Amino acid sequence: MTSKPRSATETIRNLWERLLVDPTLGVISLLLIFALIAAFALPVFYAGNNIYNLVGSSITVMILSIGMTVVLISGGIDLSVGAVMALCAGVAATVLKMGAPLFVAFVCAILVGIAAGLLNGLLVTRVGLPDFIATLAMLGFASGVLYIATQGVPIIGYMTSEYYIVGGLDPLVGPVTFPILVAVVLALIVGWVLSRTKLGTHFFAVGSNAVASRQSGIPVRWVKTQAYMLSGTCAAVAGIILAGRNNNVPADLGTGYEIQAISAAIIGGASLMGGRGRVLGAVLGALTLALAINIINLAGVPSSFQKIVIGVILILAVIANYLSELARGATQRRRAKRLSSIDA
Amino acid sequence: MTDRAETPSAQSLVLEARGVTKHYEGVTALDHATLAVGPGEVHALLGGNGAGKSTLISIISGVTKPDSGKILLGGEVMPASGPLAAISAGISTIYQELSLVPALSVLDNIFLGREIKRKTLGLPLTSDRRSMELAVRDLAADFGVTANELHTPVSEFGALKKRSIEIVKALAFDPKVLILDEPTSGLEDAERQVLFGYMRSMRERGVSLVWVTHHLEELFGLADKATVFKDGRTVATVATESTSIDKLITLMFGADREEFGGGDTRKIAHLQPSSERPVILRARNLTRGSVVRDISLDVHEGEIVGLAGLAGAGRTEVVRTLMGLDALTSGSVELNGRRLSLRNSTAAYRAGLAMLPEDRKQLGILADLSTAQNISISRLSTVTAAGFWMSRRKELALAESYRGQLGIKTPDVNARIGNLSGGNQQKAIVARCLNTSPKLLIFDEPTQGIDVSAKVEVHALVRDYAANGGAAILIASEIEELLELSHRVLVLKKGQIVGEVRNIPAAIEAGEFARIKSEVLTLSAAGQAS
Repeated sequence: MTSKPRSATETIRNLWERLLVDPTLGVISLLLIFALIAAFALPVFYAGNNIYNLVGSSITVMILSIGMTVVLISGGIDLSVGAVMALCAGVAATVLKMGAPLFVAFVCAILVGIAAGLLNGLLVTRVGLPDFIATLAMLGFASGVLYIATQGVPIIGYMTSEYYIVGGLDPLVGPVTFPILVAVVLALIVGWVLSRTKLGTHFFAVGSNAVASRQSGIPVRWVKTQAYMLSGTCAAVAGIILAGRNNNVPADLGTGYEIQAISAAIIGGASLMGGRGRVLGAVLGALTLALAINIINLAGVPSSFQKIVIGVILILAVIANYLSELARGATQRRRAKRLSSIDA
Repeated sequence: MTDRAETPSAQSLVLEARGVTKHYEGVTALDHATLAVGPGEVHALLGGNGAGKSTLISIISGVTKPDSGKILLGGEVMPASGPLAAISAGISTIYQELSLVPALSVLDNIFLGREIKRKTLGLPLTSDRRSMELAVRDLAADFGVTANELHTPVSEFGALKKRSIEIVKALAFDPKVLILDEPTSGLEDAERQVLFGYMRSMRERGVSLVWVTHHLEELFGLADKATVFKDGRTVATVATESTSIDKLITLMFGADREEFGGGDTRKIAHLQPSSERPVILRARNLTRGSVVRDISLDVHEGEIVGLAGLAGAGRTEVVRTLMGLDALTSGSVELNGRRLSLRNSTAAYRAGLAMLPEDRKQLGILADLSTAQNISISRLSTVTAAGFWMSRRKELALAESYRGQLGIKTPDVNARIGNLSGGNQQKAIVARCLNTSPKLLIFDEPTQGIDVSAKVEVHALVRDYAANGGAAILIASEIEELLELSHRVLVLKKGQIVGEVRNIPAAIEAGEFARIKSEVLTLSAAGQAS
């Protein structure tokens, strides 16, 4: 069946077809289009640290969307990521203020994130609440706790020189900041989990058909719970970084992040119906969002238009993903036809 | 396209398909298929799974656009502009999966999207239920739906009544052609007869019926003609009065009939009585509320134990408790002498149980995953390196080995399983079960909704599994299938065992098939728990 390419044209055709059948084709083309617009229409795009800042500003959403992708793949949705992220940021800042070392503060924040995810998972799988309701309740709960703890006054005075590095305000090595490093490592780990571990396959199976998964012996409830715990962990990591980047933790730090995280995951090809999604897609999705917001900022459009832009990009992305799905189908048909004609 | 029965002249045809071709992701579903249906004719579409019947009806009913070819209705070419256009042109379709909205009343379902409106404030906003009822009351009565029932939500009715409602819904708009896709699926025997009566009365009304079925024995006395498809091509159109099941099977599969529906070429692979062999599964006093009551059963090595019973007798419920899918109220299960705790299905699989679930689409396949992943999913440790990370190479090798062993037909095991035909999906799920090296394998309706040739192959898989020393529990609604495969049959009624029939292979060998069949049927209907 698999014939080796015999000529240069065939090699090119195979490469081209590989690109056409790639599930991230939609988001890649969207990203390219925006980059081209920026490059030609806005010379200021390359000025100063713009691109550097752009990447830095996308990291929080990127980390959240990596966890969100896993939840979406397993057939759920996590509306609590923004609130949990803010709560974890508050925990890290408070523990630091009490004089604990950075490491201890981070462990505390991450434990809170995992606990929130576990609670989400238990509410969904054991109590039987719909994903939407359970995580909406967690959103309210987490942001409520942060409000009460801060009494509406932002937490300040926890920054140390190391925390400037963690927040990405000071670079780590050369131009690479700590948040970029964390995002890359996290993306690689979660991507590896999804494509190369049993748990990853179970995420896809459960999201594709939970009842059939149970019939085939997959511990469906535990798998779903783990997806939420992973999302909670990502929220905690994002919170730790955002607390450093932001210099203070206001009670409404997380507001709106859940929408951006879901948008980035969907732009990256995840399906709300479950069973589909890619970490690389989520990473590119977060970059696409940041790039679009950057473009309208540079173009002098009022920042209040950002939300509209996010909405429009979401629609464009779904269309782009649909088109790439069509291209994939057509390519597979062509290839199958060619293969069968070779066989004959 | 040889061997064609007398073709009526083009003018008198109600429906005609010419040179219809359709490709799906790498698969040719239809290859210049043709069909000619005369007025007031019951026309059966036959063929194995993947032969192209479903694609053809979905093209005729406007759901799918053909790559080439055309559909003629009353001699005029139909534009391929969607299902609504087809319906208003006079082609109605009743799909295998019922397409009624459960929460709406029968009347609202019949007129869904085509409501008769009354003017309110000069605008046609309000549904005029009175006029709607008047319009269909007589028609509904003809098909057993009373005026009272018209106002009852569809969710309260059973399979036959829903089928009747679909018929009324279709006939309410005077179709010229009515397409019936496996209309008898999910119906009991007596209900089928009622449905066939309805089909005759539709024919008397002058409606042409296009009837897709897998049950060849249903055709005779009802269908006028049958068109046989194979591999997307029209093989032949024959008049049913001048053909036979054997001839049709030869047309469908190109081979002579083998092991189909109780024929005498049946093969009995394993005759030895297995009660002396070691007991694999020992279940005692299984009880779950009032659904499963005090069930005790043993399954020996190499033995297939069939569970018989009418719908609702509790057959699936019993095996669900074994698999840990439903909790037991009381009772115990031992596998190879070791007591099992049936907390959940994961524990059951780990202990050495596996199940091929009924309803392949809902409970079986993971449609978004590849065929290879669907095969390995129940025991991923068989495709991992160092017991932890997945090896695509091992996954592929495993899938390829089962593809060869079980004859799973697919161009690419890495493609989504959703693209495969029903029979091949089922074989992949058999592979999924076998890959867990089960000590006991449960087959729940293993041949539901798959075609005759795949059926024969799945039967062979079940037999091979037992012949190699595996123990199996089999549930099959088709009594012939159950008897041909089982060594022993337990009859269930209202969640209890009401009887047992032993030594079935020997009885069949002695020519007593009819006797044990009636014995099982009698027990199913009238058995008393001891």
